[in-house]
Amino acid sequence: MGKQTTEMLKGTLEGIVLAILAVQPAYGYEITARLRDQGFSDIAEGTVYALLVRIEQRGFVDVEKVPSEKGPPRKVYTINAQGGAYLEEFWRTWSFLAERIEQLHHRIERTNEEGE
Amino acid sequence: MAAKWYELITGSLDDKKAYRQYKARIAALPEPYGTAAKAFERYFMYNGGITDGDSAVMITMLNDFADLWERAAVDGTPIEDIVGDDPVEFAEAFAAAYAGKRWIDKERNRLTETIQNLEGKEER
Repeated sequence: MGKQTTEMLKGTLEGIVLAILAVQPAYGYEITARLRDQGFSDIAEGTVYALLVRIEQRGFVDVEKVPSEKGPPRKVYTINAQGGAYLEEFWRTWSFLAERIEQLHHRIERTNEEGE
Repeated sequence: MAAKWYELITGSLDDKKAYRQYKARIAALPEPYGTAAKAFERYFMYNGGITDGDSAVMITMLNDFADLWERAAVDGTPIEDIVGDDPVEFAEAFAAAYAGKRWIDKERNRLTETIQNLEGKEER
């Protein structure tokens, strides 16, 4: 992933992670793995972990410590009502932004074609 | 339980205990995780400014941080998978999750309030 992708992802990763959690609860590594499956190949586990901590602090997820075969228990994150409300707003905002940027893109392309 | 009088001078003993426990967890990490964790910790101490006012936030952060590295060590996750290409960016992102209590927030609030109080006062 390029620098620009990383920059653009910054503002949206919270929504993306909540969207993944809306499908089913998961722990940190599972979320990173699912993101990688979706094509976010270079995403660091620590970035996802830091983000999970943040959405936990903001009250968007409930956390349960589940014992693992080896090592410390894993923290499993479940989206709660507050997180669900945030996610809905995220999708509305995303649709708005995507639509506007797409329109801008087309308008600029049309103007360029007419100019030629 | 009321804090003992000498804790006014020395800081909370519970915090000290929690901090010692955190240090022990980091010290117990195998290499290369121990060195990585200590390097980030050093950066937090210089850059964080999180302790000011609320040591509980600091303790929470350090415990989460220890959780992360213990898990990575057990799973044998490569350091690069944990921190990505840019360790500084990771450190900033991690600390930002706890940014609610940074010293700069006091100044941010002060700036916001001052400007808000100006609204409607200007002559037109």
